Amino acid sequence: MHRKILVAGLGATALFLAACGGGSSTSTASSAAPAASSAAAAASPAAPAAPTDDSNCADPTVICVGLVTDTGKVDDKSFNQSAWEGAQAGAAAINGFSKYIETTDPKDYAANIQQFVDKGYDTVVTVGFLMGEATAAAAKANPNVNFIGVDQFNAVDAATQPNLTGLVFPEDQAGYAAGYLAGLTTKTGKIGAVLGTDTVPPVKRFGEGYQAGAKAANPNVEVTLVYHAPDNAFNDPEWGAAEAQKQLAQGADIIFGAGGNTGNGALIEIAKAKGAGDTVFCIGVDTDQYNTVPQAQKCLLTSAMKLLAEGTSDLVGMAANGSFPAGNYVGKAALADYHDTASKVPADVQQKVKDIIAGLTDGSVTTGVQ
Amino acid sequence: MSADAAQTDLGISGPDPRRELRTRAQAVIVPLVSVLIAFAIGGILIWLQGVNPLVAYKVLFTAALGNEQGLTRVMEKSTPLILTGLAVVVGLRAGLFNIGAQGQLLVAAIGAAWAGYAFQLPAIIHLPFALVFGMLCGAAWASIAGVLRAYRSVSEVITTIMLNAIAIALVDYLASEPLKEADQPLTRTPAIQSTAALPDLGIIPMGFVIALAVAILLGWFLSRTTGGFRFNTVGLNPNAARYAGISVRGTIVLAMAVSGALAGLGGAIETVGITGRFEPAFNAGLGFDGITIALLARANPIATIPAAILVGILRTGAASLQFETGIQPEVVDVILALTLLMVAAPIVGRLLFRNRALKATRVTSGWGS
Amino acid sequence: MSRRWALALTIVIGIAIAVAFVMDQTKTVSVLNFSLRYAVPLILAAMVGIICERTGVINIGIEGQMLMSAFAGFFGAALSGSMLLGVLFGVGTGMLMGAFLATGAVTWKMDQIIAGTVINIVAVGLTSFFYAQGKVLPDIFPTFAVPGLSSVPLVGPVLFDNNFFTYGALIIVVLLQVLLFRTRWGLRTRAVGEKPSAADTSGIAVQRMRFMNVTIAGALAGLAGAYLSLEAAGTFERGFTAGRGFTALAIMIFGAWNPIGALGAAFFFGLAEGVASQLQADEVVAIPQQFINMLPYVLTIVLLAIVSGRVKPPAAVGRPYEKD
Repeated sequence: MHRKILVAGLGATALFLAACGGGSSTSTASSAAPAASSAAAAASPAAPAAPTDDSNCADPTVICVGLVTDTGKVDDKSFNQSAWEGAQAGAAAINGFSKYIETTDPKDYAANIQQFVDKGYDTVVTVGFLMGEATAAAAKANPNVNFIGVDQFNAVDAATQPNLTGLVFPEDQAGYAAGYLAGLTTKTGKIGAVLGTDTVPPVKRFGEGYQAGAKAANPNVEVTLVYHAPDNAFNDPEWGAAEAQKQLAQGADIIFGAGGNTGNGALIEIAKAKGAGDTVFCIGVDTDQYNTVPQAQKCLLTSAMKLLAEGTSDLVGMAANGSFPAGNYVGKAALADYHDTASKVPADVQQKVKDIIAGLTDGSVTTGVQ
Repeated sequence: MSADAAQTDLGISGPDPRRELRTRAQAVIVPLVSVLIAFAIGGILIWLQGVNPLVAYKVLFTAALGNEQGLTRVMEKSTPLILTGLAVVVGLRAGLFNIGAQGQLLVAAIGAAWAGYAFQLPAIIHLPFALVFGMLCGAAWASIAGVLRAYRSVSEVITTIMLNAIAIALVDYLASEPLKEADQPLTRTPAIQSTAALPDLGIIPMGFVIALAVAILLGWFLSRTTGGFRFNTVGLNPNAARYAGISVRGTIVLAMAVSGALAGLGGAIETVGITGRFEPAFNAGLGFDGITIALLARANPIATIPAAILVGILRTGAASLQFETGIQPEVVDVILALTLLMVAAPIVGRLLFRNRALKATRVTSGWGS
Repeated sequence: MSRRWALALTIVIGIAIAVAFVMDQTKTVSVLNFSLRYAVPLILAAMVGIICERTGVINIGIEGQMLMSAFAGFFGAALSGSMLLGVLFGVGTGMLMGAFLATGAVTWKMDQIIAGTVINIVAVGLTSFFYAQGKVLPDIFPTFAVPGLSSVPLVGPVLFDNNFFTYGALIIVVLLQVLLFRTRWGLRTRAVGEKPSAADTSGIAVQRMRFMNVTIAGALAGLAGAYLSLEAAGTFERGFTAGRGFTALAIMIFGAWNPIGALGAAFFFGLAEGVASQLQADEVVAIPQQFINMLPYVLTIVLLAIVSGRVKPPAAVGRPYEKD
């Protein structure tokens, strides 16, 4: 019984919310699973010899992929980490080499990108929407290098800048699906969300999508959205935990934590609460946080995912085989597996969530979020 | 603490030439040896990560000093550090510990951005206007702490900590609501007009030149003018200053305003010279680095220049260090912290000069009073 | 802050809480719970400041002491598999950092603010360099409801149903208040902080007293750090103390170097934070969030400006003791 539902859950995960946008229909190279560990880039075993360093990157037959983080680390359990896993997997799939630089000062964006360009890298991935301008400038200056801007909506059209693509995600759809599930699952009729700052658009889209989805599932559900103040918004787990506890005390039984370490603090706190994984649940964000925040496994219902690793990996592959989709590339959103909580979600709820995901995918369901 | 001993500590020594020479020699040798020891310990950390420290340091310094782009970036990074360092130094000389350089820098950076984008002026007026307006914002922000200290005996350490928190929230509000660039999602102001932009002199950023000039000017002011004498006297012994007919309150307010203006100049140069607009994330931490710089420089204005350049080199080279060797850029912070520890604590001085070592730098008094 | 102002503020806040409780019990209790748990590290850190300053030493390195202890506590617990060992690691590291400050500021007679700043910078450098991902705490701390007391309306669920850190912090506050003003240790500590030369003449070993007190205070900073990583956040992240050590200094002054006063001030900061998020949750705010967040800081400045002159720091604070 239990096992069967787990399999059903896995099925739901496979249903991606959004198809590839940007006019491209190439969704082939998506099977490369993101590397589980952030250790060295694993070369694919079957291929001949993948380069072990970047000394020959200038050679056109040697594919090199560089990644520049926002002012964060590649072990951030969140978007930098996923993008790096994607870059590694993408490079491994084409037998290329990959490497990263962690930015410590936003004024170094351009210089850090330049390090890769100077070494003759073929594709440079920049992570985070603050890097948009630096990425666009670098793309203009270096027409022979392909640039992938993760979470950066690209305002320049494909014709004038064929080597730049913004990898963006329909966060509102991921939030909507998570909210829909929460709206159907809540017993108290109250759900909450502990979020990073609403001055960061993807976070706001997650929050508003969540609210819209919950209301669509059950118009009577009460949704509480609380955003952290803009300063230090993504590195305040203590605040996230305190806010989660407050929302629980006020009757919320499902809480969405979306905001880097702040949101992770909320998840960890909920896992400590009485009834965690039984009557009280949490929902993670960005990646399957069952893996990245193991302390939260007990309460984790699902995660509202942006398939960052897959999107990055796909684009790295496309850049190498000449089908690079310039402009913007809409990555996929999805709900993560139910894991340990699968038995707490009735089969009919799982089916309804599956249907709404299908609806979001084919466009028959809209989130109403700008 | 006697006024005489304190004067020695600040490097403005008495007439004994031998003593003066010793003081000067120590003031140069101690920091140099401290830096070397810090690099040695940093080297051990690098070695523990499986990388040859000599190779790592070569990469770090080549990236920072081995080419034009590197040199430019070192100078760009040093500029706000010199200025916030000077801001802290001026305060220390007048007996004030300005922890608020960060807040002053932020309000100045957004002030300069507003002055830079909201007006249509010829370049010859616009650029100085943006810089001066930024400085005034910084000075005004610091003056809150100065006035409260002078007239209400409220510790400037506390008010500047509070004012930092307030400034962070305030500029965030301004950049996300009234001064936000329309039709785009980022929290930031519009770009400044080209007439307000700070030009470069070849590979040398103009802001760096300004910072050097200000440091030298301030060194002259503090050691050679009556105004500087007033600052030092108030800082060393407010009672003596009062006897000598110096307005202690006026001096405190002025010193705080000057300190804020210096930090403000740092913020304004960042806006008109580097970022071209105000965006909160781009100014993080610069004010706090000023404290490090001032302490490394032992409250000497001229010495802020090498101190800031050292930090600039380390920060510039850090990314290449990771790119070439995989060493985490944070190793640079460890090296910096160790240097500061040895410069500030009288460890190296005692080791080298035994009982003739200078006393530890004494730059602050207690709270209030 | 002067007693009159403190009393007035306490009464106003007390009435506001009572009114809120009548209107919505659940929300009021949960906001107060938020405030208290948010205040706990601030309370402990403010006690660090009070002990140090009462004995004549400025400790501006509380932030760094907390960060190092939070780091040691978290990784100590994760690697050893014991939460209790984690707390010990945290407290021990705090004590070590306290002894470090004491060595610099007391033994070496370094400038006290420089010594503290060094701690802050060293802590940021070391903890971010040695940070490792993927470590998980082995367990969670239980909460303990005091039988009887915990069922008293309002007060019960807020004060008497907590984890041991919270009880510990509250007990330490009361204990410190008694120790400082009712015991020989307190008298000596205050004498050393007010007039060290007179204390010396009367046979108190000024340097030893200062060294000891600063080190003990470090242990409390360690407890605050351990609370942050082991209980409040359940994790360690780079730089996640986020200025709490500095806020604690403001709280210390707000509370007039008085443990009970600082407790009230810390709770006020926590309350402002809790009310800010509740206003947002209830969607009753027309004011931008940034203004609510800066409110406690603005109020601190205003209050300090109003009551200044009536509150004085220990006279000898910040000055190393030199025998004449």
